[in-house]
Amino acid sequence: MADLATIALTAAGLFFFVAGTVGLIRFPDTFTRLHALTKADNLGLGFIALGIALQAETWAQVARLGLIWALALLAAGAMAQLVARTALEREDAE
Amino acid sequence: MTLWLTFVALGVLASLAGALWRVWRGPREADRMMAAQLVGTGGVGLLVVLAPLQDWAALDVALVLALLAALAAVGFVKARSDDGAGDPEEAPPTPEMMRPRQTRHDPRGRHG
Amino acid sequence: MRGIWIKAILHRTVLFGAIWGVLTAPGVEGLVAGLFAVPATVWLSLRLMPAHHPVALWRLALHLPRFLAGSVTGGIDVARRAFARDMPLNPGWVELPVDLPDGGRVALGGELSLMPGTLAAGSHEGRLLVHLLDTEAGFDRTIPREAADIAAILGAKRTRDGRP
Repeated sequence: MADLATIALTAAGLFFFVAGTVGLIRFPDTFTRLHALTKADNLGLGFIALGIALQAETWAQVARLGLIWALALLAAGAMAQLVARTALEREDAE
Repeated sequence: MTLWLTFVALGVLASLAGALWRVWRGPREADRMMAAQLVGTGGVGLLVVLAPLQDWAALDVALVLALLAALAAVGFVKARSDDGAGDPEEAPPTPEMMRPRQTRHDPRGRHG
Repeated sequence: MRGIWIKAILHRTVLFGAIWGVLTAPGVEGLVAGLFAVPATVWLSLRLMPAHHPVALWRLALHLPRFLAGSVTGGIDVARRAFARDMPLNPGWVELPVDLPDGGRVALGGELSLMPGTLAAGSHEGRLLVHLLDTEAGFDRTIPREAADIAAILGAKRTRDGRP
């Protein structure tokens, strides 16, 4: 049962990782790419962490997975703004 | 389960390859930076997937990588700011950057 | 003011203590080092980010489900657009005045960057710059609600029209 849930969740995670990369490659400009990266990737990481948490042997491992995801979310929210703002200011070489 | 997790790890790895393509092509520095960011997140995802196969030691590595990936982007922003303080709001945004751009991907242009 | 600081010290001690606990988890000897590391971290965090606002943790907890749901919707939306053959994008910018204090504005921006279709690019003269993935999908309709939630979490007094 837990194994099935892990497979479903990690599959969802992989899907969003791939979606993020497809967006990063296909989307037409810097800002739309940043949308794809920020949203899809962290969701992908979240699903994967959730799926792996079901396989964990101790609560410490579950807590650590939670911490990893929380860190990634916080970092993504802050990074998206910083990179977007930096991209907004300077037009560099195309 | 080992087989499946290995497959997921390979899938994440493949999506990292896509990110490297964006690092290569750019065109702007911010594009390269965010693709490197994806390599960071993807690397964390990869380590998390592999953790159950490797006695869970990879979780600590994932934690450190998650921290370092954030620092890389901070370093980028600091390097790009004029006084090195890293405040991206020190200069006003350039108006031409905020214009919605028509691109070859614009679906309304194609169908409209 | 004093109350805010005491509350902040308490909150941050619990937060950093919990993180330390998770980091050192199975071992017990790590907790001893935590007796020094956690207070030092609290002191540093208060120096770097002084406590100006009484943070209402229960409001933060109430806000969490909305945020998680939003980030799932945001991811699905981006995935749908990325895989669609004609890639329906209609990017554009909105600027909106936000009366939140600086930390609140950053929190709002970070949150918006994970919500569907919005991406904050910092602020300029008190106005938050938000990039929309699709200007016709109404992604910007949720922004006032998010701003109100964050103002409530920070206990920030708001102006009548949400302008600084």
